[in-house]
Amino acid sequence: MVETLWILGKTLVQIVIILIPIILAVAYLTYAERKIIGYMQVRIGPNRVNFSAIPLLRRGRGLGQPIADTLKLLFKEIIIPSNSDRFLFVIAPILSIAPALAAWAVIPFADGWVLADINAGVLYILAMTSIGVYGVIIAGWASNSKYAFLSTLRVTAQVVSYEIAMGFAIVGVLMAAGSLNLGDIVAAQKGSIIHWFWLPLLPLFVIYFISGVAETNRAPFDVAEGESEIVAGFHVEYSGMLFALFFLAEYANMILISALAAIMFLGGWLSPFQGIPVLENLFSWVPGIFWMLAKMATLLFFFLWFRATFPRYRYDQIMRLGWKIFIPITLVWIVLVGLFILMKLPPWFVA
Amino acid sequence: MRPENYQPVEHPPSHEFELYFGPNHPGIEGNYALKVRFNGDKVENVTADGGYLHRGFEKIMEERLWIQNVALVPRICVPDPPPMEETYAQAVEMLGGLEVPERAQWIRAMLLEMSRIAAHLFIVGGCAATIGQYSNMFWGVADRDRILDLFEEVTGARIYHMFITPGGVRRDIPDGFLDRLSHLLDYLDARLPEYDDLFFDNPVHHRRAEGIGQMTQQQALSWGVTGPNLRACGLPFDVRRDDPYLIYDQLEFDIPTETGGDVLARTMVRRSEMIESTKILRQIIQRLPHVKGPIRCPLPNPLAWNIPAGDAYARTEAQKGELAFYVVSNGGTKPWRVHVRGPSSMHAVQVLEKLCLNARIEDIALIMFSLDACPPEVDR
Repeated sequence: MVETLWILGKTLVQIVIILIPIILAVAYLTYAERKIIGYMQVRIGPNRVNFSAIPLLRRGRGLGQPIADTLKLLFKEIIIPSNSDRFLFVIAPILSIAPALAAWAVIPFADGWVLADINAGVLYILAMTSIGVYGVIIAGWASNSKYAFLSTLRVTAQVVSYEIAMGFAIVGVLMAAGSLNLGDIVAAQKGSIIHWFWLPLLPLFVIYFISGVAETNRAPFDVAEGESEIVAGFHVEYSGMLFALFFLAEYANMILISALAAIMFLGGWLSPFQGIPVLENLFSWVPGIFWMLAKMATLLFFFLWFRATFPRYRYDQIMRLGWKIFIPITLVWIVLVGLFILMKLPPWFVA
Repeated sequence: MRPENYQPVEHPPSHEFELYFGPNHPGIEGNYALKVRFNGDKVENVTADGGYLHRGFEKIMEERLWIQNVALVPRICVPDPPPMEETYAQAVEMLGGLEVPERAQWIRAMLLEMSRIAAHLFIVGGCAATIGQYSNMFWGVADRDRILDLFEEVTGARIYHMFITPGGVRRDIPDGFLDRLSHLLDYLDARLPEYDDLFFDNPVHHRRAEGIGQMTQQQALSWGVTGPNLRACGLPFDVRRDDPYLIYDQLEFDIPTETGGDVLARTMVRRSEMIESTKILRQIIQRLPHVKGPIRCPLPNPLAWNIPAGDAYARTEAQKGELAFYVVSNGGTKPWRVHVRGPSSMHAVQVLEKLCLNARIEDIALIMFSLDACPPEVDR
């Protein structure tokens, strides 16, 4: 009994230790997005809200903005349209945020730093991210609004199609690493920056990342929210904290996709200087989590960069890209990876 | 018991649905409503429903003095006001037999071309924003702001200048203004490759804009489309060239055309027109210092200014197309009737309805922006 309680308490503490940084990261990712895109668009972005009580942050260039936004959303009224399905309307944002956070259970941040070191880690993540789309579908249906419904139809088709391409890309990684455990996938990439899977699986890496952008409904695949077409899409009727939950889920998913890409293709917590004579020793003191976070941040920057530079694809073009280009390429490359493994192509598949 | 005159409610077939696009919609410029019937994602029918910005300018102008109307006309179209002032001034000059001094004509042409660049930047940015690329919009607005700074220097106002009055302009250009204008043109030239990379040559933009909202030259002519939209169909018609006003016959410029007739062609025509406008402005910068003389012809007491009876039709090339004022005077201190032939009232209602057919939901806002439909000007 005591032992069960001890495990329960330990797990709870671990969950909190993982979740709080993630939620803070989501908050400051919105700030980073507004700042980075702001500078790319020759404007300044948020610059008013600062922590005036803390001397260092008194001129913090709007660092308090995410906190202020959260407070604003918390105090706003949650409007439930009278013609909506109340139960589904409330359950939808919960359905989309819960899997987005739950998926983090199997992500290893550094060697052994993982909440649940399960062998079916990749499968678990695929399952969780597929549940997330139900939140969007239900939101659009429950709102009983034409704009929201249109967006829901688009999201469903888009996410389902891109999940296939994404799944195939992951299959390539599984074959190369020979394991579904995310920790083992990183371990299989040990050696040097050339040993990481981005090189032998380059097409899969590109397709995985682009599918990830599509999966999270980010620009240029943001037809679900298409501001100038269907206003805000599935969350057009949401307000206050219910809306914030969708927002949180979107950004948590963005971070998740970056973390997965870093783990599966960029060697997770491995140092990029591994195998280089002098630099390796020079940087050996850097903890693995730093490399992990640096890789995630780089990939997240790409998300923001895409949004500032690409116009939105038309919906039929997105579907064509997914079905006619991505899925065939992944299929061909999976066969090639099989051949690489059979031929024991050095330096990746020698084992 | 059903009443005698019972009529069952007509529902659209189950595969069709109606959507109100506007009057308040992030993809639409100004307040303008489109009632769209969709079949799936395809547009089956569009009914434009204007009037949300009707401010009754034509009627108000009948109650104002000739000179008071100068303050009213720029408000008809927000992004591109100087052509409005110019056309109204031309109509009054025709009626009143006023001769505009040459220096005033050069200054007017300078303002018109600056305004053309500013308005094209604005509308090209708007086109980009409707397909989700806000960077180009912000860049366009930021660069337009530099032109507005120069406007402020000359006229004292950024948007509604009220500067071009019948008989001339309100005041002369300040010292060193032409140098600053020249710097601005250099800056804009340097910016153009960046715009090309970001928007005009962006492959995703080409995929979105190609073949959308296409019209043939024949259609454009029969629908009364003018300006960049007509030139995008391959017909080099430009009032500045074909019916020159001010000093445009002394300037050298090309009339850019494209043959596609679609959204992409219209955007590209606007891009080339900005380049042509910078060329025109450079010529003006060279010539203007050598044109001396007054900037305004003497006007009678504006409060008791009786303009001889008659009617006049003045037309100019605004950024959106051919803009014309038909002004009738019965010899009094106020116009008897003013009619504004706004370019977008031709292409933002019926033409928009026709071009949107068989497009998809995503393309409606893009088509509307690429036509440069300006709701305030449609409703007047």
